[in-house]
Amino acid sequence: MISLAIARSSLMRLLRDRTALLFIVVLPIVIIVIVGATVRGFSTWRVGLVDMGGGSAGREITKALDGAHDLAVTRYASERALATAIARGELSAGAILPPRLTQAERAGRPAKVALLVEHANSSSQAAAAAINSVVSAVGARVQAAQFATRHAGGSFENNLARAASVERTLPRVEVETLQAQRASSTLPEGFSYSAPTELVLFVFLSAVAAGAAIVETRRLGIYERISAAPVRQRSIVAGEALNYLTIALGQSLLIVLVGSVAFGVSWGDPFAAGVLLLTWSLVGASAGMLAGTLFRTPEQASAVGPVLGISLGMLGGCMWPLSIVTPLMRQLGHITPQAWAVDAWTNLLSRGGTLATIFPDVAILAAFAAAFLVLATARMRRVLT
Amino acid sequence: MNAAFVIARKDLRQRLRDRSAIVVGLVAPIGIAAVMSLAFRGIDTFHFTLGVVDADRGPLAAALVDSLHQPELAGVVTTRPLPSRTLAIAEVRAKKVAAALVIPAGFSAGAESGHPKALAAVTSVDNALAGNTTESIVSAFTAQLNADRLSVATALASGAAPSDARQLASLAAQLRIPISAVDRPLGARELKPISYFAPAMAIFFLLFMVSFTARSFFVDRSQGMIERMRVAPVRPVEILLGKALSVFVYGVVSLGVIAAVTTAAFGANWGSPVAAAALCVALTLSVVALTALVIGLARTQRQAEAISSILVFGLALLGGNFVFLGAAPPLMRSLALATPNGWALRGFTDLATLGGGIGAVATPLLAVLGITVVVAAVAARLAPRAVRS
Repeated sequence: MISLAIARSSLMRLLRDRTALLFIVVLPIVIIVIVGATVRGFSTWRVGLVDMGGGSAGREITKALDGAHDLAVTRYASERALATAIARGELSAGAILPPRLTQAERAGRPAKVALLVEHANSSSQAAAAAINSVVSAVGARVQAAQFATRHAGGSFENNLARAASVERTLPRVEVETLQAQRASSTLPEGFSYSAPTELVLFVFLSAVAAGAAIVETRRLGIYERISAAPVRQRSIVAGEALNYLTIALGQSLLIVLVGSVAFGVSWGDPFAAGVLLLTWSLVGASAGMLAGTLFRTPEQASAVGPVLGISLGMLGGCMWPLSIVTPLMRQLGHITPQAWAVDAWTNLLSRGGTLATIFPDVAILAAFAAAFLVLATARMRRVLT
Repeated sequence: MNAAFVIARKDLRQRLRDRSAIVVGLVAPIGIAAVMSLAFRGIDTFHFTLGVVDADRGPLAAALVDSLHQPELAGVVTTRPLPSRTLAIAEVRAKKVAAALVIPAGFSAGAESGHPKALAAVTSVDNALAGNTTESIVSAFTAQLNADRLSVATALASGAAPSDARQLASLAAQLRIPISAVDRPLGARELKPISYFAPAMAIFFLLFMVSFTARSFFVDRSQGMIERMRVAPVRPVEILLGKALSVFVYGVVSLGVIAAVTTAAFGANWGSPVAAAALCVALTLSVVALTALVIGLARTQRQAEAISSILVFGLALLGGNFVFLGAAPPLMRSLALATPNGWALRGFTDLATLGGGIGAVATPLLAVLGITVVVAAVAARLAPRAVRS
């Protein structure tokens, strides 16, 4: 009963602090939107296109590039603008369609599409290969039309149209795709990536930053006043734990709700997701309590807390998928509880996981929570006496 | 004027004694930039191993395998022969190879007849990029085959005699697709992750100065420090100038040290020292103006904390300090240019890639200074009130 009262009073103090509410409620949602909008496109190359007046032939290449499933094409007005965008890392490569491309085709002259690439950068080379493949496919029809004009007569335009219609029925040498592996080991792109990972990031980060409240409570002498009453230490620790757990759970539920209602995120098996949420809230709550006993001043908590939370989040795969980093960084990342939580969410969201399949991850998270809680309790007892 | 220097010195000394200032100003930005750069070390080099199953062993299959070894692809793909399709699938699933190419038995013979056999690219959802790249490379090869077949078929459809088909086929086999893509050098260095994230993190933590200084101003005020200063023959402007000067010195030193450390230890490229220094000074001035604005807008310490938190995180998120803006949608890239930190980051990116001196960052510099002047003008109307009240 006393624990409940302590938890309630701590919670009320937090709810009155609008800055804290900003970090707990508004910031996670804003970051979900921004990271969700940025973390996509790991299966396509971003390329740029400048059409210097290619005419109908240029339009045909443009259409083919737009239709290529591994390319995301943006148009630019000049070669300079295109080169700047590549230099700024906005694009992997760029294509420049030369002027009078149509006339060159009609006259049977070879035409050259310029590819802007960074030679030292192999992803730029791979993007160039993708553009090259599209240009070749368009060039095939031009070759056929020129060949037919030379050997069978008729106009180039008619033969080009005929080549396009013959192409539709002619059996081709195809490249079939065979998916060896369907179940992904990364989260889906977009908001389904950002919502679960920001949940992991922020529940931990806010809890650690909220450790400032315990520091403040210590400084104000509130614990001493409580201890003067016939209250056992155990009740104080339990009360604080309950307070932090309530904040973490509340924040988790809010992110889950906003994620599914506003961004259409599907959170997987509800029972397993519930257990994972509860376990992660326990990790956050115990880490927050530990932080509250370790920091000396509220300034330290609010300076070091976010830095710690963000760094662990980065290492643990909350800001970008761990599948894109080096194996060493991936192993290093799994020192953090965040990486295990993101693994569990990946299992639930991408592979239709259940409580049984995420059990190992949840068990490790529970061990983290237990370790933090034991340390925090020991520290709290020392602080209280 | 002397009073302003004394106040600045006192603030700086106070800040240095609080170790959190060193964490926020130096340790955290350098540490996080290092983590980011380590994490992304592999991302600018895309290379994968492709398993190749040649069940055909004909001339076309040999030509296809040769095309995988062309010099332009040396940095992108390494091939590994595999005995069977079943094993190829198993190897892709086990991540021993990123993707595989299967050339079926009878491929060469089929391509010359009317019934070509399909090639197969074995891919994994975990490495979509390697799968797509394999398809692109192989498609560039099959494009010529298909173009030749299409040429014969189109000629026949346009009225060439069917009896000439064989002769046409041998003529078509000598053709080259008339539109080709040729490489043109970019004339810029590539953007290394550390060259983006070192300035991004330095700026992000510099923005925290707004929170710290605004907060310390109201703490000073509640402790009666400002009143005591005003009893002395010190004008409110000098008190504000002193505070501003301490922020400015702390900011410039923090940016400078981070630039030096990340250049020496992680190979970050900050570009021309003069241009980079000019950007650092302009950006720090904008942070001073923002701090004055928060002091002017807030009435209590709590309000100052709330306003500056919104400002700091809002600017950092919009300006691209958290996520690499190159990958963001165009709208977000435009929004970044409404913030001084977004402009500064663009300036640093341009210096690292396109190079050049102070002239190359004239636009970002003017933009940062312009925003600073506007913010300072508003702050100049509001801030003295905070000292007087």
